[in-house]
Amino acid sequence: MSERVDLREFVGGFVAEADELVAAANASLLEIETGNDSQQPRPRAVRDLFRALHTIKGLAAMIGVEPIVEIAHALETAVRIADKGGGRFTSPSVQVAIKAVRAIAERVRAVADDKAPAAVPSGLLDAIANADATPDPPAIPPPMSATWDTRLSASERQQVFQALRGGGHVYGLVFQPSAELAADSINISTVRTKLAEVGELIKVIPRSLAPAGRGVVFDILIASDASPAKLAELAAMPVAEVSTIELPVERDVTRVDMSAVNEELPEPDSAPLAGRSLVRVELSRLDDLQEQLSLLVASRFRLERELTAMTESGLDVRRLREITDLQSRQLRGLRRAILAARLIRVTEVLDPLSLLVRSLVRPGVKEVKLEVDARDAELDKAVADRLLPAIIHLIRNAIDHAIEPIDERIAKGKPRAGILRVTCSETSTNQVELVIADDGRGIDRAAVARRSGRTVESDDDLLEVITTPGFSTRSTATETSGRGLGMDIVRRIAVDQLGGQLFVSTTPDVGTAFTLRVPVTIAIMDVFSFSCGAQSFVVPVSAIEEIFELDAAARVTPGGASGVTLLERRGRAMPVVSLGVVLAIDNGASANKALVVRRNGEPVAFAVDRMLGRQEVVVRPIDDPLAHVPGVSGATDLGDGRPTLVLDLGELTGKIARRERRV
Amino acid sequence: MANELHVAFRVGAADYAVPASQVLHLESFDTATPIPGTPSYVAGLVQVRGRLIPVIDLRARFGLPAIPRTIDHRIVIVQSGARVTALLVDSARDVVKLDDATFARPPEMLDGGGGFVKAVATVAKKLFLLVDVPRVIGEELGHG
Repeated sequence: MSERVDLREFVGGFVAEADELVAAANASLLEIETGNDSQQPRPRAVRDLFRALHTIKGLAAMIGVEPIVEIAHALETAVRIADKGGGRFTSPSVQVAIKAVRAIAERVRAVADDKAPAAVPSGLLDAIANADATPDPPAIPPPMSATWDTRLSASERQQVFQALRGGGHVYGLVFQPSAELAADSINISTVRTKLAEVGELIKVIPRSLAPAGRGVVFDILIASDASPAKLAELAAMPVAEVSTIELPVERDVTRVDMSAVNEELPEPDSAPLAGRSLVRVELSRLDDLQEQLSLLVASRFRLERELTAMTESGLDVRRLREITDLQSRQLRGLRRAILAARLIRVTEVLDPLSLLVRSLVRPGVKEVKLEVDARDAELDKAVADRLLPAIIHLIRNAIDHAIEPIDERIAKGKPRAGILRVTCSETSTNQVELVIADDGRGIDRAAVARRSGRTVESDDDLLEVITTPGFSTRSTATETSGRGLGMDIVRRIAVDQLGGQLFVSTTPDVGTAFTLRVPVTIAIMDVFSFSCGAQSFVVPVSAIEEIFELDAAARVTPGGASGVTLLERRGRAMPVVSLGVVLAIDNGASANKALVVRRNGEPVAFAVDRMLGRQEVVVRPIDDPLAHVPGVSGATDLGDGRPTLVLDLGELTGKIARRERRV
Repeated sequence: MANELHVAFRVGAADYAVPASQVLHLESFDTATPIPGTPSYVAGLVQVRGRLIPVIDLRARFGLPAIPRTIDHRIVIVQSGARVTALLVDSARDVVKLDDATFARPPEMLDGGGGFVKAVATVAKKLFLLVDVPRVIGEELGHG
């Protein structure tokens, strides 16, 4: 495993993160134990423990360390039961848990030392399963407030209950974000931070305002000794709207229904809530999900081919067909669901822009009012991340060059402050239109024409010129053209990278609007780039089993084979195919790296010249049949403005096999 | 249809033309990314305004010898049905109005680009060979 480049890179990250998580789990266990000594359940520590275990499990599963997955999973289940029971975790259970966490830590070390982690001791899983996490009937705190009752987990309710019983106060607050507040750097995270200083935040839940699209407010539940007036000030809300949560009348405690605790239970934080519930997911995990889906689609195609062959040979496959048709619909549903999971609200992307605008205006000299309206538009996180630099660029240009200083605006009869409108809407199911419009001086076509030496009649001409690399109107004598600085970057992002469209429309002294139309989603691929001859290529990381240094001397060339040699690899003969020869680029003599893929379960190495790196790229399909050849699955732009081919080495092995059969 | 605008270009020793209505852009040509396994007349793949477009080397397509690349080389990006392809030509400068009344069937024995010329037009004693774009881009390859 030591030579598997992709895994190795991952292992370092895994060990670092797993170490932290193990430490966090131990800290939580210690706190739970301290709580047990003083007869005080620690629901928060139980939840932290759960989260740490859950993350360890996920990470271990990704790099395939089964023993860790098993231990973490068993323990996670026990902790989940404890959480359900209001955060009670008995001392004997804590002892078992400490042992289990130590077992995880040992296996993390083994992974770090590149050793095989030991299997799970048979007794441990049983001990975890039998650890009675809830010997006492778990106390379910009675309801305390209509607003909050359905939105809290058992352990959170326990937290409220404990705070109130201990003579503390619990308040419900509402924070409503707005452009004005954002302009003063007040947003939910700053509010959270400030509130956390004066009390214990129990829950923060975003809630959509009705009707949909009116925005989001955050309901905040806090245990605090600070005065309601102080809390209201910190949450930027009227003190009259602070609600006080009262200690409810005690009811009979009821035993939690254990049958409800099963595998399907979501983790506490993602339990369905009355408001919009959120869970943070790393984008790479969604990418992984998508990749798994594409593998499923590929095997589905193979099934389809087999079925067709069976039909042709006269077999009755109608029943099987019904199933595969159903499967097709299910796959489409899965694809939609995965896409939906990747989407984020454009508002989230645009909100920080108010801070940018604030930093660019000069009070008293040039003032700008930013108006953002993204309604309910949503974008793939990957698209949003790539698009943001273009948006920032356009906003900066508009403020620096397009919007006039106050005195100039007053002289023109315009309002004192310039208006910069950023709107975003869905134009179709898979496209989003973003418009960045200012009410500034407009682009001076004559100046642009003079500077470029080209005729600039239409808006398209204008766009063409101002998005030419290196074009700038800044150094022209008239200050009035004022835009075009680095506009090629905007075009590269919107058009070349995202495969979208860019338009401009401008009217002197009325303003300029840039329109970007981009796809809602793009295919992002984690790839290795390498060179072969003078050409660069990329391959998906997921397709590569391993990469190793090629020792030319160890290669055996069987007589008659076309560019295929053999190599001893772990006691077996592995075919080495020269990519340069297969692609008719060169004779493969300069190859010194081998990329291993699997073909029908058997490893095949492709000899290439040099590895260039690993990166995430946007892959675009090649539509035209002329350019559609086996072994090439698409193209990407590595940053030089030229297409780089994405190779499907598995498919190339098929091509070689076919050719050899013909020979 | 009479007097339709055409983009005129030169390949080898002849002037060719395609209707301007089918031409999306005219671009200078630097390099294309070779695509292994394509016919020899496919010069490679270019990215034009975010679009991936295959380049057809008309010299190779017409069976003419290759020449060193010059700054005059252009790609004419044409739309034919749903397909968008780029034609690599020696140079392209003019837009000409061709009267379809002057269109004649190409002589049977036409040399160079045989089969890819669908008509011959005459303007002021100058001959323009009308390129049969679907044929050049190998429409039989297309799925639509």
